[in-house]
Amino acid sequence: MSTRTANPVTSSELRFEDVTVRYGGARRSFTAVDGVSLTVPQGAVVGLVGESGCGKSTLARAAVGLAPLHSGQILLGGEPVPHRGRRRPLQMVFQDPYSSLDPRMSIGESIAEAIPPGMSRAERRAEVERLLELVHLDPGRSRVLPSALSGGQRQRVALARALAGQPQVVIADEITSALDVSIQGAVLNLVRELQRELGLSMLFISHNLAVVRYVASHVAVMYQGRIVEQGPVAEVLVDPQHDYTRELLAAVPGARSTPPTPRSTP
Amino acid sequence: MRRWMRVLRTPLGLAATVLTVGVLVLAVVAPMLWSDEADAVDTSNILAGPSGDHWAGTDNLGRDIFFRTLVATRLSVELALAATAIAVVAGLILGGASFLLGRRSGRIVSAGINIAVAFPGILLALFFAVIFGVGATGAVLAIGFAGAPTMGRLTQTLVASVEARDYVAAARVAGVGRVRILVRHVLPNIAEPLVVNATIGAGGALLSFAGLSFLGLGVQQPKYDWGRLLFDGVGSIYVNPAAALAPGIAVLLAGLAFNLFGESVATSLGLSSAAGVPLRADDEDEGNGSLTTEGQPATSSDDTGSDLVLDVRDLRVTFPGPSGPIRAVRGVTFSVRRGEAVGVVGESGSGKSLTALAVSQLVDDTGRVEASRLELLGTDLRTGGPKAHRHLLGTSLAMVFQDPMTSFNPTRKMGGQLAEVARHHQGMDRKQALARAVDRLRAVRIPDAEKRAKQYPHEFSGGMRQRAMIGMGVMGNPALIVADEPTTALDVTVQQQVLELLRSIREADDVALILISHDVTVVGEVCDRVLVMYAGKIVEDLPAEGLATIAKHPYTRALVAAVPDMDTDLVRPLAVVPGRPVDPSEVPPGCAFAARCPLADDHCREVEPPLATVADGSRVACWHAGEPLALDEGTGELVEAEAR
Repeated sequence: MSTRTANPVTSSELRFEDVTVRYGGARRSFTAVDGVSLTVPQGAVVGLVGESGCGKSTLARAAVGLAPLHSGQILLGGEPVPHRGRRRPLQMVFQDPYSSLDPRMSIGESIAEAIPPGMSRAERRAEVERLLELVHLDPGRSRVLPSALSGGQRQRVALARALAGQPQVVIADEITSALDVSIQGAVLNLVRELQRELGLSMLFISHNLAVVRYVASHVAVMYQGRIVEQGPVAEVLVDPQHDYTRELLAAVPGARSTPPTPRSTP
Repeated sequence: MRRWMRVLRTPLGLAATVLTVGVLVLAVVAPMLWSDEADAVDTSNILAGPSGDHWAGTDNLGRDIFFRTLVATRLSVELALAATAIAVVAGLILGGASFLLGRRSGRIVSAGINIAVAFPGILLALFFAVIFGVGATGAVLAIGFAGAPTMGRLTQTLVASVEARDYVAAARVAGVGRVRILVRHVLPNIAEPLVVNATIGAGGALLSFAGLSFLGLGVQQPKYDWGRLLFDGVGSIYVNPAAALAPGIAVLLAGLAFNLFGESVATSLGLSSAAGVPLRADDEDEGNGSLTTEGQPATSSDDTGSDLVLDVRDLRVTFPGPSGPIRAVRGVTFSVRRGEAVGVVGESGSGKSLTALAVSQLVDDTGRVEASRLELLGTDLRTGGPKAHRHLLGTSLAMVFQDPMTSFNPTRKMGGQLAEVARHHQGMDRKQALARAVDRLRAVRIPDAEKRAKQYPHEFSGGMRQRAMIGMGVMGNPALIVADEPTTALDVTVQQQVLELLRSIREADDVALILISHDVTVVGEVCDRVLVMYAGKIVEDLPAEGLATIAKHPYTRALVAAVPDMDTDLVRPLAVVPGRPVDPSEVPPGCAFAARCPLADDHCREVEPPLATVADGSRVACWHAGEPLALDEGTGELVEAEAR
């Protein structure tokens, strides 16, 4: 299961090594992530699927330093992910674009804030415009507040902010699940385009297998804090090895050909 | 700024504002205008009572107390504001410290604040007054620091609420330092409540000052504030009560002004944060619907087959809005036959949920429901008010909501809650009803139903709760189940079980189903027929299996192409619907979808297309129905295919 190999570490490979995250005190602790090892190779999009509460979001939060590690390590290009200082090579996009943008800050300011220091004012402004254009928003609208934007547009701003940090890897945590279906497509197209054009590495977390199939090249299936199966999308989704993966596949709406077996326990 | 102006709209707010401004203006101009009168010593007229020359009498040097009270406004207000400023700054430092210092040290700071808050403010003020010495400066420091713990606690609570938001997490991930986050993200978002509380605090400080000066710990001669005047006046209260009353009234008025002003600002801001959220037509709360019977009476049956469970003609739901009525549902006509499953899809705000709520008579009191026909099992729901049909609705119609947690009473056992339905509507006794409840829980595949019936809602998982909700719906023998996004809050695997359950209930008892969802794939899987709604209207009505093949409306086709499934072409982009959904308060003339439609022309923008029946029995509202579309490989937008 572990992908710990003797390969030389490429410059921006994100690697989780035996990561465990625990919440609560010593007595009544809850293990949210249990010994997870996972690699996001450079330039690849790795999908992480599983039901809510399986620990996938906790894993993401641990990677960017928002949840404390109990044991194991998270390496980026062979070095521990830096959680201090202005340069953050690992960026994250959150699920709900309605709460991830400061309602009092213009979208341009929000994006500019994530730009690493060392740029002049003019350079920053140009960079914000470039990023807005990259996510297909009108650069002239950098002064508007998030409230003037639709959910899909906000999520694109959130993506632009993540890119502003010049990250080597981006973690996308359920970035389409709070959006209307008609908007989902636009965000997914953008993710694929960014990956193709910028060679961005990405850990793409979702509970929707069809979405993961569309954007990711590799997929890892998480169940009760553990990774139960991982591999190339074409293999895992076509020839699943673990029961839980099969169950997930059978549950995808539209997959009518395989009627789900009624289970007695939820 | 507009939200602040709302203060002036209430009589109390207006009065408080006028009073506060009056006090502040007086504080500025009084010393300039009346200093001489206030300081004029008239030894021939010592300790006189009120007279035409001296409205509030004179003091022991014959100075006019009325003018002295006016002039004292400046010092009193200055001192109160200075003390408030100290309290706010110290409070911000204390409250912000726990954010800046991180978890462990932050806990120590907040423990300190908690202890300090426990001391009565006036006690702290006396304590500090002794430390800083008697005099105006000492008193300012004393009252300022005495107010700091309360402000600190308030700041801390507000900071904690903002700290939990995703944008703070995002800024931390972006590497923004804690001080910068505090200044740029946290403080601007807590400024409003802080300012309001500081204003109220200023009123309090004013009173505390009067108290300290009155005790002789505040302002010393020859300076004077209201408290000092009060102190001097009380000595001669039996000779000239006005000497004490005048500064007393001043303290009362000014204190009241600041407090009321702060409170009214708080109320208006609080109100606006509730009313500022635009009325979303989609998530109305459960409530009793009021049904008006305007429009023409139900026309005689033309094609009413006996197997119609639900017959809806020209259904309209309107809400009052700040700028004119919000037309959330604009004339919806459809019918559901026995055992038929009809899906309703659309974006949020398309009116799909409201349509369902109108059918179940659950539209909010503010909403107006109109229809030229609204019949459930042949009974006209428009007449007689909501009470007349309670029994029919209670037994023949089951409603399943998105969030099963809020649909159950958390303090009552599941079995009892289900049994209540049977006792109420079917007149069963306790025992029968409970047996029926267990039977129904078993029917919705809840394992160990007898034991589960004795448990509370929180002991059920989300999927089980949703199944229990469906179980509650089938306590009677419903002819129609209306399920509003029943699986949106559930995981995919659980979603499949719930959909499967709905399907089997439908097949077993020939129950009709209206399934509302934003997910085309879910609807396509469960339903026989799909209604696509856009901007409060049905734009297409077609067989579910034809969604991917025979859909004619450009919106339906875009929706289907926007959602990836397990067979989606990985090379091509997903379809994108450009633009934003229509705001129900500003529905444009013509076709509502025209602004986002690749096929739209001037005719579309002017004349609204009717929902016309096409050859195979499906209905579509589009002037260009079925015209070829192509996918722009670059943008993912659907474009008009080049005519060949």
